[in-house]
Amino acid sequence: MRVVSEEILRIENLHVSVAGTPILKGVNLVIHRGEIHALMGRNGAGKSTLANALMGHPAYEITEGKVFYKGEPLEDLDVFERARNGMFLSFQYPASIPGVQVGTFLKKAVASVRDEPPKGRAFRKELTTAMEKLSMEKAVLSRYVNDGFSGGEKKRLEILQMLLLQPQLALLDETDSGLDIDALRIVSQGINEIAVDAGCLVITHYQRLLDLVKPHFVHAMIDGAIVHSGGAELAHELEARGYDWLDVAA
Amino acid sequence: MMYHQMPIPPRSEHLWRYTPWSRIQPTKNGEVPDVEGLTFSTPSQVTLLVNPLEQIEHTDIARAFLLACNGENVSVAIEETAEPIHIHAVSNAETTVGTLHIEFKGSATVFVHLSGEGSWCGLHLTANVNPNAHVGFGFINDLGSSCNLLRCEDWHIARDASVEHATLSIGGQRCKSDVRSYLNQSGASVRTSVTVSADEKRHEDQHVEIHHLHSHTDSDLVMNSACDGRSHFIGTGLLTIARNANHSHAGQVFRNLLLSDKARAEAIPELEVLADDVSAAHGAASAPVDESQMHYLMSRGLNHEESQSLIVSGFLLSAFSNLNNQRLAEEMQHQLNIHLEDELSG
Repeated sequence: MRVVSEEILRIENLHVSVAGTPILKGVNLVIHRGEIHALMGRNGAGKSTLANALMGHPAYEITEGKVFYKGEPLEDLDVFERARNGMFLSFQYPASIPGVQVGTFLKKAVASVRDEPPKGRAFRKELTTAMEKLSMEKAVLSRYVNDGFSGGEKKRLEILQMLLLQPQLALLDETDSGLDIDALRIVSQGINEIAVDAGCLVITHYQRLLDLVKPHFVHAMIDGAIVHSGGAELAHELEARGYDWLDVAA
Repeated sequence: MMYHQMPIPPRSEHLWRYTPWSRIQPTKNGEVPDVEGLTFSTPSQVTLLVNPLEQIEHTDIARAFLLACNGENVSVAIEETAEPIHIHAVSNAETTVGTLHIEFKGSATVFVHLSGEGSWCGLHLTANVNPNAHVGFGFINDLGSSCNLLRCEDWHIARDASVEHATLSIGGQRCKSDVRSYLNQSGASVRTSVTVSADEKRHEDQHVEIHHLHSHTDSDLVMNSACDGRSHFIGTGLLTIARNANHSHAGQVFRNLLLSDKARAEAIPELEVLADDVSAAHGAASAPVDESQMHYLMSRGLNHEESQSLIVSGFLLSAFSNLNNQRLAEEMQHQLNIHLEDELSG
């Protein structure tokens, strides 16, 4: 029997619009520390909108409902404050930032989230260890952030940041897309490492990720709302049957 | 034609459209002011020779004016050397003018650092790059914030020689630069990187001409500016490929980052291609800071100011990333970082 631990995220009747178009239409979800939740659904169902709205992207307007992060209203926090308070979004399409070296960026991100500059030798060791786990070459540190990166390189860099920032809530938006089998296994190890002490919301289309990152809960999203939830077996069912059978529930 | 014989160029001319002659010269039209010589010095192991000015006729009013001012005239011959050479030019009198000629006999990396608190500074730099010489050249404009600058450069690049030419412009109030490169023989190439950081009411006009006069010549121009406050940046590029300059390649990219509602930037690439078998491309864009980049950095804990500062510094630094000469690229990046740190510390 699982012991329910601290509540990390509570979403109540969340409605979100993008450029005036309603996308999310009443999402309810609760995530506790140590839980992995998988969110599945067709393209355009609103999965990425949920992740982006939670991280405070200015293009995503919350029109109704409430979100509480560690018991406090999320709307009171600016984007950078959410990060400093332990929220992390692994982007589906991370922005590239020409001219900014990965090493410089990582140092600044870690300094911001930990509220102190990382100590030279200790940070280098920590960085090296994390990069080895993800089979990343050191040369990536002198490249510009996501500039000219392949899809797989971008996803690894996202997970590297997650390992360094040690979030309490990790939102992973299609982190498995563009990864080959070996890379998927490596990235999954990174997610599992964080998931021990954090709440995780894993957005994916595929069972293959959920074979490696075992979800405690699986949710199906149809037309901007979670219409069906279950255990890990729901992912198998969705993969086998698709989403049509849930349209009635929606 | 000498300066006093020249008509004032009309604003309909591409070169004078945004910074007319009357706005950049230090005195009334047709007059030549009393000037002091720009002070040149170098800690490097080269000798700066002071020469009398040679009276040659120019077709361009800026060059003719700088000649008529009769300022300091210095030349230096540079043999093949691995150690970078630094030349300092200081403008500390009211109106200063200097002419510098560099003869590159072999491969070398040279930096010209322009500084000082004068009111007006004029500099004409000429360079000959001998066959097979590979030159890195960095120009750093770090003039005081009330100084106006007129800068002209003429580069003649010989067979199989290459020039990587980098400009960092962070000083001065009103600045007009006119840098011309002539690819005179087969195999010659020039790679130009310009980075401009402008704020308050700074006015910066960067004109770069590259003339492909022979076949199998290559050029590349990247010009990045970041404009804050009420500053105004103008980047114009004239690229010509002569009728006989087949198998030449040329590219120009202008990018402007607008950091305030009042800042303005113009990016105007021009191509004149007379040869048939060439590749030439150009592009220009002016935009505010990218929202997705801001959101990405803020989602990693950087606040608004830290995120914007990192994006701007990366944007400015990236103009130097097309340089192959590592010493040149690193020094230019170092100089820019010093400026950005000064700005952050107020």
